[in-house]
Amino acid sequence: MWMKNEDELVGEVLQGDHSSFEQLLRPYRQGLLNMAYRMTGNREEAKEVCQDALIKVYKYLHRFKRGKSFKSWAYKITINSACDFLRKKKRFEDSVQTQKDLEWSRSPDPERQFQNKEIKDRIEACLKNLSPREKAVFLLRDGDGFSVDETSKILKCSSLSVRTHLSRARKKIRAQFERMNLGYREEVKNEV
Amino acid sequence: MKCKKVYRLLPLMAGGDLRSSRISAVKAHLERCPECQREYDAYILSLETTKEWLEKDRKDWEENEWQRAVQNAVTQKKPEVSTLAPLPFRKAWAYVMMGVLAVALTLLLVVRPFDIGEGMRPDSGVSSRTQARLSGGSLEESQQEVVRMTMILPETGQKIIWFFDKNFTLEVNE
Repeated sequence: MWMKNEDELVGEVLQGDHSSFEQLLRPYRQGLLNMAYRMTGNREEAKEVCQDALIKVYKYLHRFKRGKSFKSWAYKITINSACDFLRKKKRFEDSVQTQKDLEWSRSPDPERQFQNKEIKDRIEACLKNLSPREKAVFLLRDGDGFSVDETSKILKCSSLSVRTHLSRARKKIRAQFERMNLGYREEVKNEV
Repeated sequence: MKCKKVYRLLPLMAGGDLRSSRISAVKAHLERCPECQREYDAYILSLETTKEWLEKDRKDWEENEWQRAVQNAVTQKKPEVSTLAPLPFRKAWAYVMMGVLAVALTLLLVVRPFDIGEGMRPDSGVSSRTQARLSGGSLEESQQEVVRMTMILPETGQKIIWFFDKNFTLEVNE
């Protein structure tokens, strides 16, 4: 099947074809949702952020420069929406820690559900100490596989700044791993 | 390269983000320093595991939720097509305006259209500005009948006075 390229789809949306908007965003819908979810730590908030981002993408589509990466542009809007959202609510520090969000785990298998919950808790534990900037850099580079240059363009900063934040984020995650392993060993010792 | 510096570079090295010029130096250090190698392995482990977790814990929209979100976006706000089409960005117009202004300013400075009238005045054998310069006076004084210019020779102290009448005929008094 012949696929339209992004510039063609952007042109069609600007001419009023609403169905092209869905086609334009479909390849990135999962990535955008995950980015919002990791930033907010909550499903409902992630959906709210994504909704806001989709509105902005549609509203400002005429500003998108043809020939550039639509993916990067959409991610940039989503991250900015997430940051705005967190700033407005002023509860970034608590959001990752206090979420007890089991609605994602819709698997009927309890063992699978438990594993999912465990993984989710571990990710939250790893990300909770990162600043919003470090988190965004880490998720873009290591979560979604953007290059350092692409990340710097999305976040509108230098590649040196991206490397610095990335380095800090990885150090903090490594330290968190150390803590989690120590915790595990202590538990084992206690059991023995 | 010392351990302290390598330690600082390990997070980037683990993710493959270190500049190529430094990779070989870090690798050489890791081969001979088991402590740093252990630290590097720990970074690799934490990074790979986190990536794996992130991959496993990927969320997706339910189809009806996604369709509703897109529909909301489309109905909430119509896309704002620039009123200055075909150029999609107002910024481009701003640049054009700045360019036009710059060209106009340059022309103004180079051509100096205000000077043209003075230089081309038909009745001035010598322009009023030149007359003023000769007389050593102001522009108003150049309207006088006789223009005088004094020169004193520094060697002898001799004074030479030049008189020009309005027809520019020269008289010399010593």
